[in-house]
Amino acid sequence: MIGATLVGSSLAPAESAAQDTNARDSASGGLEMRFTVNGEARRLTLDPRASLLDTLREGLALTGAKKGCDHGQCGACTVHLDDRRIASCLTLAVQANGRAVTTIEGIVPEDGSLHPMQQAFIDHDALQCGYCTPGQIMAAIACVREGHIGSADEIREYMSGNLCRCGAYAGILAAIQDAAPKMQAG
Amino acid sequence: MSDTAYPDAPRIDAHDKVRGALRYAADEARPGMSHAALATATVARGTVLRIDLAAARAVPGVRLVLTHEELAGLKQPGFLMGGGYGFQSIQPVTSSRIAYRGQPIALVAADSPEAAAEGARLVRAEYASEPHQVTLDAPEVDIVAQADSPLPKPMFADVTAGEADTAYAAAAIRITAEFRHPPQHQNPIEMLSTVAEWRDGHLTVHEGTQNAEAIRHGLARQLGIEPARITVRSPSAGGGFGQKNSLQAHTVLAAEAARRLERPVKLVVSRAQIFHDSSFRPASRHRIRLGADAAGRMQALIHETDSQTSRHDFFPTQYTELSARLYGIASFRGRERLVRTDVQTPGYMRAPYEHPAAFAVECCVDELAYRLGQDPVALRLANDTTTDPITGQPYSSRHLAECLRRGAARFGWDRRSMEPGSMRAGDGSLIGWGVAIGAYKAATAAAIAKLRLSADGAVTFSVGGHEMGQGIRTAISAVLVRRLGVEPGRITLEIGSTGTTPQHLTAGSWGTATTIPAAEEACDTLLRALEALPSRPSPAERLRAAGRPHLEVEVSRCAPGQPDAVMGRLTSGLPAAIGPAYPGYVSFSHVAHFVEVRVEPATRRIRVPRVVSVADCGRVISPRTAASQLRGGVVWGIGAALREVSEVDPRYGGFLNADLAEYVLPVHADIGTIDVEFVDEPDPQLNGAGVKGLGEVAMVGVAPAIANAVHHATGRRLRELPIRVENLL
Repeated sequence: MIGATLVGSSLAPAESAAQDTNARDSASGGLEMRFTVNGEARRLTLDPRASLLDTLREGLALTGAKKGCDHGQCGACTVHLDDRRIASCLTLAVQANGRAVTTIEGIVPEDGSLHPMQQAFIDHDALQCGYCTPGQIMAAIACVREGHIGSADEIREYMSGNLCRCGAYAGILAAIQDAAPKMQAG
Repeated sequence: MSDTAYPDAPRIDAHDKVRGALRYAADEARPGMSHAALATATVARGTVLRIDLAAARAVPGVRLVLTHEELAGLKQPGFLMGGGYGFQSIQPVTSSRIAYRGQPIALVAADSPEAAAEGARLVRAEYASEPHQVTLDAPEVDIVAQADSPLPKPMFADVTAGEADTAYAAAAIRITAEFRHPPQHQNPIEMLSTVAEWRDGHLTVHEGTQNAEAIRHGLARQLGIEPARITVRSPSAGGGFGQKNSLQAHTVLAAEAARRLERPVKLVVSRAQIFHDSSFRPASRHRIRLGADAAGRMQALIHETDSQTSRHDFFPTQYTELSARLYGIASFRGRERLVRTDVQTPGYMRAPYEHPAAFAVECCVDELAYRLGQDPVALRLANDTTTDPITGQPYSSRHLAECLRRGAARFGWDRRSMEPGSMRAGDGSLIGWGVAIGAYKAATAAAIAKLRLSADGAVTFSVGGHEMGQGIRTAISAVLVRRLGVEPGRITLEIGSTGTTPQHLTAGSWGTATTIPAAEEACDTLLRALEALPSRPSPAERLRAAGRPHLEVEVSRCAPGQPDAVMGRLTSGLPAAIGPAYPGYVSFSHVAHFVEVRVEPATRRIRVPRVVSVADCGRVISPRTAASQLRGGVVWGIGAALREVSEVDPRYGGFLNADLAEYVLPVHADIGTIDVEFVDEPDPQLNGAGVKGLGEVAMVGVAPAIANAVHHATGRRLRELPIRVENLL
């Protein structure tokens, strides 16, 4: 599903205003881009080859999204691009030009408490080593928003793009079933 | 205190993990840091004749390219199982020799990950190739009896008891079968990652590991500097599963690049390269002969194994340490052989010997039950024992029968009909119910622990242990909370990083049985020291009343039967563990798994909708994380039984499916309900806390339970893993 989302997303920036800024920086060979990350406007000069994941991690010090394969196969890098879940390692950073990115660091309420999905992951011990966890939580939030929570099997199917090698799947399922009504109520 | 069960408590680092706030090695960044990437060999065996680096060096941003011509002066790390520190004895990029496809031949460091990756891709080498072989079907000259190898004895001598061949020949019922297990890779989701930085001649390495001390002492040996000039930081690893149990091949390359560049270097080894740059579970072949009398009493077991090793190291095997102990079988003969192949040295992957050995034996035991017409649970209960058949010593605790009884009740085993193919679901799927048992040695390592109580109530505790998701931080915290009455939030655990106490290898399921008794002893020592101070309701208040800012104690602890000299190994970063045989007794953890499979009638697709597992790991210190660990072990067993194989083509060498799409791990949709329970009886002899190990026994027996369930559903005995749809068509 993640792969399909990426294939379907346009390489071109969503807004023409943003496209004006998408010009090659002649001095560095980089591309200038603007996007919103966790509600904050960002302007960067980028290597056009840079993935969104490397840009978040190495350029913006947002290390919550993890690199587990760099091939869109494990889901540890899952973030939201305009509220859709994507594999940020398979997304060129320039594809986010003019768009809004949300990472695990951006889902915490302003009062410093936890998102219901985060709390549910703690309550159901839906993690072990924690490395895939930010990606699981971003995928789980999207899974609820997409409405793919009709049954345990539907949740399992729509969460199968996120590998957990520690094998915390039972806890992840329970966490999503617990958090979904709280998200919908909130 | 071991007479009281521990309460349910949240995983202590979960709050950081769900916020993405916990820092793993690759999350480190430094100003001016370079990024590195590896170029690897494209032949299976041979010699590098020439390397063309012009194109790599021409990539904008590339600052450094290192090949064997620059790094010939680096020393070899030594093999973990041969008195050294490395996962294998040879260090890539220090000579022109190529021992296996995928062996690193160069490191490229650049200003960005993109430039480093491009540079590494542009490294071109010419080779003189040599013949290679990568499977168990090797010429005789490459097959070595372990008993005749230089590996130390009696540790790696053949396991025997009684006269197995004679007893087998005389047995009323004889089962013989051969089982095959493929190579597999651990694949923790955290990739091998190192950030290396030098400051004033001191090297700091950030790397997720199960063995910080091996990295420190191994790098010291390789770089020719004092261990005191190296710090290794691994407060948390993103999974280990045996892969991260030693010094990796890439680490010294990152350290050397950082030294030459005079700037920090980050090296994240790509997923494809990890399949060749670190250890893996070797391919193995198991020939079983099982003899029983007409009533079902098992009398003789012969277990002969062939297991893959590399051409440059003997990776020893101990399959028969387990198979000899699953039941009270009087006569046993083991014979383990190693097969030289042109690969990196294989190594430990969760339940490295026990999972394949249990697969072979427990499938035969199921076959015996059918030959006898006996219920598979009843047959297992009738062959249980309280005495170790190899040493004649008693088990310190063995609640296997309790695991079987409780599991059978939870699963509803009494509703099973014995006949294969006799149970069907409403949609026409064949239903199979299978059972198998598992065991794993209850090992213990030596430890040094430091405990410090401050007058403000804060507690700092350090002991040799690494958090890789198993929950060791949560378990240690539970003990400190119980003994000292401290709030979890006031505890600082200094584990996984060198510099405080020796950070011994965390593996072999000895983490809890090593650190928990050390934590208890440190608490007791601290509380005794406090008795000299004015009496107050809490330890911190006593300190304040005495006007003391803090109180610190240190304890050193050998495992039962270990000589004091083992402390020298501990402080040198060498393995210092013992078990399962202790003076006067033998210790194992035990488990029983009950599995339901459903086989779709047309496609023959195998699903595992539910599993019930009951484990005896002694006292459970952290119930919540232990339950997760047991479920995780079941997921591993499902993966091993139905999915995971590292594909090999004898023509090319290396591993073909070197990524997470082609190496098929269990995904969420593969996993149904996993119902787990613990006997939770403290082991009275092994340590005062009563704890044994859990991480690996959790997996042992799952695969044969699945294979036995497939037989119950279909009548087919499948003896090669993974079991696939095409095996049932």
